[in-house]
Amino acid sequence: MNIVACVKQVPDTETLIKVKPDRSGIDETGIKWVMNPYDEFGVEEALRLKEKLSGEVIIVSVGPARALETIRTALAMGAERGIHIVDPALDSADPFTIASALAAAIKNIPYDIIFCGQRAIDDDCGQVGAILAELLGIPQVTVITKVDVDGNTIKVTRPIEGAQLIIESSLPCVVTAQKGLNEPRYASLPGIMKAKKKPVDVKDAASLGVSIDVKAKITKTLPPPARPPGKIICGEDPAEKARELARLLREEAKVI
Amino acid sequence: MELSKFSVGYEGREVFWNAENFEGLLFAFTAVALAIFGYGIYGRWQMWKALGKPETRNDNLKERIKLLLLNGVLQVKTFKDIYPGIMHGLIFFGFFVLIFGAAFDATEFHIAEPLGVPFLTGKFYLIFSFLMDLFGLFVLIGVLMAADRRYITKPDRLGYKGEMDNTPDDAIVLLLLGGIIVTGFIIEALRIHVTNPPWEVWSFAGYTLSKAFASVDNGTAKTLHKITWWVHTFISLGFIAYIPYSRLLHIITTPANHFMSSLKPAGYLEPIRDFETAESFGTGQLEDFSWKQIFDSDACTRCGRCQDGCPAYLSGKHLSPKKLVQDIKTYWLERAPLIVAAKKAAGKAGEGATVEIPAPEKAMVGEVVNLHELWDCTNCMYCMEHCSSSIEHVPKIVGMRQYKVLMEADFAPELQLTFRNMENNSNPWGVGSHLRADWAKDLGIKTLAEDPNVEYLFYVGCSGSFDDRGKKVSMAFAKILQIAGVSFGILGTEEGCCGDSAMRGGNEYLSQTLMQTNIEIMNGYGVKKIICTCPHGYNTLKKDYPHFGGNYEVYHHTEIIADLIAQGKIILKKPVDGLFTFHDSCFLGRYNNIYTQPRSILKALTGMNLAEMERRYDKSFCCGAGGGRMWMEEHDGERINNMRTDQAIATNAHTIAVACPFCLTMMTDGLKARSMEEKIASLDIAEIVWRAMDIEEVKPPVDVCAPTE
Ligand code: SF4
Ligand code: SF4
Repeated sequence: MNIVACVKQVPDTETLIKVKPDRSGIDETGIKWVMNPYDEFGVEEALRLKEKLSGEVIIVSVGPARALETIRTALAMGAERGIHIVDPALDSADPFTIASALAAAIKNIPYDIIFCGQRAIDDDCGQVGAILAELLGIPQVTVITKVDVDGNTIKVTRPIEGAQLIIESSLPCVVTAQKGLNEPRYASLPGIMKAKKKPVDVKDAASLGVSIDVKAKITKTLPPPARPPGKIICGEDPAEKARELARLLREEAKVI
Repeated sequence: MELSKFSVGYEGREVFWNAENFEGLLFAFTAVALAIFGYGIYGRWQMWKALGKPETRNDNLKERIKLLLLNGVLQVKTFKDIYPGIMHGLIFFGFFVLIFGAAFDATEFHIAEPLGVPFLTGKFYLIFSFLMDLFGLFVLIGVLMAADRRYITKPDRLGYKGEMDNTPDDAIVLLLLGGIIVTGFIIEALRIHVTNPPWEVWSFAGYTLSKAFASVDNGTAKTLHKITWWVHTFISLGFIAYIPYSRLLHIITTPANHFMSSLKPAGYLEPIRDFETAESFGTGQLEDFSWKQIFDSDACTRCGRCQDGCPAYLSGKHLSPKKLVQDIKTYWLERAPLIVAAKKAAGKAGEGATVEIPAPEKAMVGEVVNLHELWDCTNCMYCMEHCSSSIEHVPKIVGMRQYKVLMEADFAPELQLTFRNMENNSNPWGVGSHLRADWAKDLGIKTLAEDPNVEYLFYVGCSGSFDDRGKKVSMAFAKILQIAGVSFGILGTEEGCCGDSAMRGGNEYLSQTLMQTNIEIMNGYGVKKIICTCPHGYNTLKKDYPHFGGNYEVYHHTEIIADLIAQGKIILKKPVDGLFTFHDSCFLGRYNNIYTQPRSILKALTGMNLAEMERRYDKSFCCGAGGGRMWMEEHDGERINNMRTDQAIATNAHTIAVACPFCLTMMTDGLKARSMEEKIASLDIAEIVWRAMDIEEVKPPVDVCAPTE
């Protein structure tokens, strides 16, 4: 079984995000970069399938030079090799362009399943997996919490509000991973050491024959508005206070 | 009465009385016993050297001989526990003297007498007889005490979870010991009965016993004497022959282990140095231990001292350090003979033949030592501090953890998260590393980047930087330093996690990364002296950082505060109220021998009433947070921190003083669990001192609902 897992390098959730003064994007100095957690679920699932069914896991990532570190992390977890698409033109590209680059790289290699995270925690677009499937002309199952492969079909679980959908699809297909799919493994030390020597192909847009056809552009990046101060309900009588809380939740916060 | 060459004024006895012709036979039997003994030791020797990685334990002979004399001969470690210490001391010193006595006898008979210079005569003989009886009696009392403990009193430490670990061997050994003494006394009594010299009252035990034979005629007595003499001889020779095959082997292995004690600082862990080249890390197989770590288990006497203060065991978890050592020993006893045989076979096959060692039938980590046991340990060092055989438990446990973490990446998910947090944000909680210095924002503390020319670096550590209680301790301590005029700075956001929890949690790779990052920054600023408020950082900066080029003078804040008080640089104006108790942190006390400084600080406070807990100083009970346990769930048994809190509550103290942020968290949680947080406070010594300095008004908590005017 040939499995591809797409990964994106994103800022750690706890890292301090500063918007550049000209509002063109975020200031990258001092940022701790990690693998997008949803992609990590995909990598883990890919590895588990490989361990069960044998085969190979290939990591594909679009990102600047620093993204190599994230590819190595996936290799340390147990993937066989990586493809790193580096091109300054892709640095702030939209999901469509990124998906095109991924598709161009993936169509040249054998694949049965392609894992993506259901979205990346930095821009939260949640489009790459879907567009990738479309560009490759294969089915897609998205926001998945369980994967079973049986011969040439795949059976997956997609949680929806109040229920779960069990979906079957033929292979090859794109699966986008949701939290709950698995607990990603901690890389072993021999894994980390071996990952340093595993092959990573570096490609640029030209070598993949991708035309950069940007469909969406970020015009401005703004920090979130400062949080308004909290409110403390005072009073002697708990019942009275509870009534006031309910009133505020309904009338001011409009959450109930 | 028989005629004798001895008389009043020339007291003595015939050494081989009534056994004059037995010499030849005795020699023959002795030779047989020694042969059996020698064969056993030889076999064991083969097993000791059969497996294990190399390790040097014969350097610094002077220090080693000192340890051998102190702990092997004078039994210092054994006496640390009074009752069992006396019990063992009676048997040990009793036999020691008796063996010398037997040697005297032999010298008298075989050398001195034939040369015509007998020395066992007169006053010397009388004192000699008296001492022999006295020490014989000591042994007997010791044996009875031991039998009482093993079969009547049955303290928990001689078992595991209520089940005594008695073996037939234990009984045989006690019977042999008792048998030697009892038959010895009977022989003496019968001789005195027959020869009846007036001076033998000096052999008070034999003399008293001889009265029991008053009605026996001399002929019968002599026959009885001959029989008992042989019985005594056989038991004694049997004892010698039995040594290598029984728990008696500890007569050899335990002193040897004292001689080979670790001379490194307490709690020392050997760093892994070959990440790039090694194929395997940590201890996954018995063979991955060093030979000394394996030898350790053969020196264990099952005395159970280690278990007696082990927080994991006492809180009802799986781990018992005694059982751990015994399980390793049992497995070694299975494996070693196979390896010895394999080596022999390869030796026979000639040069170059490969040693075909049969594959192990069970997993060392996971089966021999189960995973609960492995992860239950808090690295509190109680076991090592109190082991009467100088056995080193903690490095074995950490070695096996390394295998699980580094090789198999198979360990608790919450610990995986902790490690990831350390990797990404250099702290176990995973709070953004840019927030590390926020606690210091309003205090006007300079970072070394702003001013590297300070005397001390205050290494704040993760708890002091991110934990809400810890931050208050950091603030209190920083303000104390400022008032005392100490020149210091912090690293600010350049500081990273010290690496202790990662190291003791088995992630040596991560811990070394963290350490090296810190060292690079500290050395960059030319740091020479460091103060830590956390004993974990203190211990690791002091003992582990030098491996990687970080050589600093490291102090704990209690050392600094005690010194500032002594120098009169801080004045404790405000008297304290209520009763205090002090909880000794393991990494301060047992690891670094800091017991007096925190107490001297407390005692410097006006109005201090200090009530000590029963388990204190080197017998202190762990709070449960060491060895990476701070970051792990506690699934089995009672919570260790609650147990320790109960011990503190039992003193009726109003304040539990601590000197470690982990302990502070654990005591605070314990007080909450016992619903005592309103009545009892848990405070770091720095906070107590800062309050007593009475410089800042303690603001009452803000009442958010108070009407504003
Ligand atoms: S270090 Fe402490 S917790 Fe670990 S085995 Fe020894 S006594 Fe028990
Ligand atoms: S390890 Fe040490 S303290 Fe524990 S039972 Fe063995 S000899 Fe006694």
